[in-house]
Amino acid sequence: MIPSLSLEITVLLLGILMLLVESFSRSDDKRGLAKMAIGILSALVGFSFFVDPASGNAFYAVDATAHFFKVLALLTTIVVLIMSLEYSSVLAKYLPGVTPGAGLGEFYSLPVFTCAGLMFMASAVDFLLIFVSLELVTISFYILVAYMRRHTASLEAGVKYLILGALSTGFLVYGITWIFGLTGETNLAAIQHALATKAVATTPLLFGLMLLLTGLGFKVAAVPFQLWVPDVYQGAPTPITAFLSVGSKAAGFVVLLRVLQPFLGVPGVGVKVLAVLALMAALTMLYGNLAALPQDNFKRLLAYSSIGHAGYLLVAVASVSDTKATFGSAGVAVAFYLAGYLLMTLLSFLVLIVVARHSRGDDILHFNGLAKRSPFLAFAMLTAMLSLAGVPFTAGFYGKLLVFAAAVQAGKFWLVGIGILTVAAGFYYYLRIVAAMYWQEPGDTTPITIAPLTRTAIGALTLAVFVFGICPQPILRQLKDGGVSAVQENAGKPPQSADGLRPWGV
Amino acid sequence: MSEYFPIFLQVVVAIGFAASALLVSVVLGKAAKTNKAKDSAYECGMPAEGGAQPRFSVKFYLVAMLFILFDIEIVFMYPWAVVFREHIAAHGPGIFWSMLSFAGVLTVGYVYAIMKGALDWKS
Repeated sequence: MIPSLSLEITVLLLGILMLLVESFSRSDDKRGLAKMAIGILSALVGFSFFVDPASGNAFYAVDATAHFFKVLALLTTIVVLIMSLEYSSVLAKYLPGVTPGAGLGEFYSLPVFTCAGLMFMASAVDFLLIFVSLELVTISFYILVAYMRRHTASLEAGVKYLILGALSTGFLVYGITWIFGLTGETNLAAIQHALATKAVATTPLLFGLMLLLTGLGFKVAAVPFQLWVPDVYQGAPTPITAFLSVGSKAAGFVVLLRVLQPFLGVPGVGVKVLAVLALMAALTMLYGNLAALPQDNFKRLLAYSSIGHAGYLLVAVASVSDTKATFGSAGVAVAFYLAGYLLMTLLSFLVLIVVARHSRGDDILHFNGLAKRSPFLAFAMLTAMLSLAGVPFTAGFYGKLLVFAAAVQAGKFWLVGIGILTVAAGFYYYLRIVAAMYWQEPGDTTPITIAPLTRTAIGALTLAVFVFGICPQPILRQLKDGGVSAVQENAGKPPQSADGLRPWGV
Repeated sequence: MSEYFPIFLQVVVAIGFAASALLVSVVLGKAAKTNKAKDSAYECGMPAEGGAQPRFSVKFYLVAMLFILFDIEIVFMYPWAVVFREHIAAHGPGIFWSMLSFAGVLTVGYVYAIMKGALDWKS
């Protein structure tokens, strides 16, 4: 049994070590660094199952939700590092004076820092820790998005992301300030306690929550805060696009779930917040899926598709019960959907990087005839696309099923209607890729070579998409008992003593 | 709301002062008058040369940024030093190790900046 915090500390130390190696090493090729990080992070996934459940405190929760999202963060980072290795030759082209594979230590170490931020966020139950970990993630992303200094699209993406990210952080902090001003607490459990015992004015509370939702809406790319997404996703280095669309989104949703919980039981507040979320969900689904239809660039298409998926996730969030202070099946739906989304998105980006490196471009037409050049890659991409579209026996289908079931349970039938309509639109643009791969003639017939590590990752992700779709019961059972729904109740208890409020036993 | 009255009063006084200062300078002085010499960057002295926004070397930004980074740590160390004695008597040496780890992270950043040549003005 190890204290839970040691996981994050190890990840941070790993990042620091990588920075030091980067600055002292005389060797040009830093790919070994990334491989070492992949090894250590994989070991941490194993260690995370032996965490002492009593090692949390008032700032830092150790529960099944936290563990689930920590494993997601670690797995995402591992795949992103594998992608970065594959991408290093492209990256070197846009950096001044760098030969392929050289001097990219920061490009491998910053994702590790981001991972530490994501892991902290999974456990954060205090606005202070939530904010600090969110910033650790966001600031690392500012650098990573603009990493290709000689590439104007990457710089443009960096500037856009910096300005809008800083703005959204401002909204978030302002919202936190209002809630702190009303309740006198930053701890979520203490806020819940204060809201239950004290009379708090509803209007300022709603104003604070609106600002919070605005800030988090930027992070998860929900309409109307989605305008930055297409340009940033297209301009950023592809591994970072994948990390943004998975890591940033997962973090935004785990924070959203945790932050909303104290407010749902408050009369006159919970219902209104859920109504706003439902409206946002409907608009996000419509915008993401309809805007994706005419796209020709594959990265841009995935950007719009990621907006659409944020919509489905918001449907689940909007379907949480507003009478009990727990999430129940909606929380399970969010967790399962995110896990499935992570698998299929990472899979499609991984294949995209390999294909784009050989075809020198990431438009849909570069996928023409992929089935003839590499049946393995074409099948992996087919799996990812079918799952993103939501075809039965894939992770995407089961995730959507859970989300819509939660919405039906909450009586939000109109959301289900819009959802099914947009899923139909999704089929069109996802299957365009499949059509290009299988029914078009290849423009370039050279066979594609894949590095063994990448091949393993693609194979594992393809398999996982099917496992999640065909027998999801073990994972769901894991999430249900002792899992997301039950632990939320424990998190709602106020801290036992003033002692519990001291950070890290200082 | 009544406890916010002083703040409200301060806002009113601040706006009133700024507005009256502008008004007085227009009424009593010649601020409303404009001509070519008045609108130039410097009304007297040498005529200005070049554009108003020349390009600076990026080194200035780098040094300024590093300065702020290592400057801010004092903001954390000051209150830490103030409560250090009482805290260590009441709660043990955890407070010492916290600051040490913080300083350690900063040191790594400093070493990284030096090794990367961020403080090397010539290159």
